Amino acid sequence: MSNATIATLTRSEFKKISSTRLWWGLLIGVLLWTVPWAVFTAAFAGVNPGTGQPASPPLDTPAAIRSVYATAAFTGAYIFAMILGITGMTSEYRYQTVTPTFLVYPRRQAVVAAKMVAHLVMGLVYGVVGVVSALVSGGVTIVIRGYDLGLGSEGLWSGIGLTILAVSIWTLVGIGVGTLIRNQIVAILVAVFITFMIEPLLSVLANALDYGDLAKYLPTNASTALLSPPDLGFALLDWWTGGLVLLAYALVFAGAGMLLSIRRDVS
Amino acid sequence: MTREGTRIDIVGLTKKFGNFKAVDDLSFSVDPGVVTGFLGPNGAGKTTTLRCLLGLIAPTQGSATIGGHHYRDLADPIGTVGAALEASSFHPGRTALAHLEVMALGAGIDRARCMQVLTQVGLADVAGKRVSGYSLGMRQRLGLAAALLGEPRVLILDEPANGLDPAGIAWLRGFLRSLAAEGRTVLISSHVLSEVQQTVENIVVLARGRLIKQGKLSDLDSGPRGVLLRTPEPEKLRDVLAATTLSSDGQDESGRIRVMGGTPEQVGHAAFVGGVELHELVAEANDLEKVFLAMTASGLDESGEMVGVGADATRVDGHEVDGHGVDATRVDGDRVEEGRAR
Repeated sequence: MSNATIATLTRSEFKKISSTRLWWGLLIGVLLWTVPWAVFTAAFAGVNPGTGQPASPPLDTPAAIRSVYATAAFTGAYIFAMILGITGMTSEYRYQTVTPTFLVYPRRQAVVAAKMVAHLVMGLVYGVVGVVSALVSGGVTIVIRGYDLGLGSEGLWSGIGLTILAVSIWTLVGIGVGTLIRNQIVAILVAVFITFMIEPLLSVLANALDYGDLAKYLPTNASTALLSPPDLGFALLDWWTGGLVLLAYALVFAGAGMLLSIRRDVS
Repeated sequence: MTREGTRIDIVGLTKKFGNFKAVDDLSFSVDPGVVTGFLGPNGAGKTTTLRCLLGLIAPTQGSATIGGHHYRDLADPIGTVGAALEASSFHPGRTALAHLEVMALGAGIDRARCMQVLTQVGLADVAGKRVSGYSLGMRQRLGLAAALLGEPRVLILDEPANGLDPAGIAWLRGFLRSLAAEGRTVLISSHVLSEVQQTVENIVVLARGRLIKQGKLSDLDSGPRGVLLRTPEPEKLRDVLAATTLSSDGQDESGRIRVMGGTPEQVGHAAFVGGVELHELVAEANDLEKVFLAMTASGLDESGEMVGVGADATRVDGHEVDGHGVDATRVDGDRVEEGRAR
């Protein structure tokens, strides 16, 4: 009974996730977000927007294919993966289940590590669901438009693999945010507000002021760079640098979360 | 199934939240084999003490150990100590069984044990129901089930009777006594003495984060007790008593005259001989709740000194503060009941 290891603690964390309804509610969110994104990306690829702006690359280019299958999946899944991470941590405080959690295993760093492992795996599931739904809905749209499915297109499968990894890593960011802001509603609102509002605004502002070098390092832009998307009108990092930057964010957030969880009084 | 008990030791424990001392240089110990009541008004520092003991909050000073070990260093935490701290630490969307399975998986306990403890506390029929549909009493029982999951030698329950109906309280009393009789250490907290009066043998009383009293419940004494009586002829009674060594000493809350200096037999005899008509004649009871209130009120005094009502508490303290002199192995239900009759 005494040899509770990360593995047994991780099983406990999986049970926590699977025994409430939130995880599949968020998974439905992934589908509802990814499918229209993939369909619209495929439907309007290469179509002149008529606003004087250049058209996006047409569907017979690898960049367009990647944006239909990989970018759409990432865009649809990463917010929900982050919210899963946030709630994974904050619901412990909201419902005070953190008390039995730390009573079962008082060496807290092991508990937090197990929580991260369980959420990283759930993040992979969210990423796979996002990719599959993008492949199906985007693929159907591409075929309807009379183009080739493009499944053999250059860089597609590595892009899909990186998508799944990136979505998974965002659960870690969520766990970190959830430890820093223990109020569940506030944590979700702040995180979504930052990723949907502050980050794009900062990114536009930085580019307008010729600080585009800084904008590249914002977490969402770094994640996007990982997927090597078509030109978005502003500079992104190399895919691998983007990946490292995202990983750095996750480790900083998760590390802060780990330290806080270990030191903080549970009362 | 009898398992060796384990002692709880609190030594010089202090916990500050900012400038506020929730627990102030607290020392006491809890012996195995008996049910110990951890008493004090709300805000006395009971829960803070228990959370320090369980490694959930870090003490500012001092130590709290179980069998000589800090909770964090226990090889098998929930197999050593079972704790139920509040009836609210459940995810409302999780079923009772799932809540226990989460714990069992983390501790490497056989999952079959979950249903076993749910049956033990009477929740087997609702094991698959989400906790959001549970009453406070059911949550208390689930908390108890969680505490029992690892078959611990030490059981720590915070306000376990809260929300239980009278039948539930009676059941809990018998249950805790049987666990103590198996040699386990049982510590239950309460802010109402009468709630646990028939369950506990030893008491630790806390007020304003400080120890007021540790000892046997039967050591609590509300002071010299008289004889209470009613009579339609109070003046005549006074004249009659004046000729004896008995004396009247005011009235109790319900208007009965208190006579000091003799037994009910002696008072009755004096009244009979003097021709005074009596309607009620009863020995004054040992009012534990009153002692408890006086003790804890002294601790609540602004200055923190034992003044005013504190005079009573000082006397009680003087009675016997040495808690280790307690005969920890005896759980003699009848004797204890008698000692506690109000």
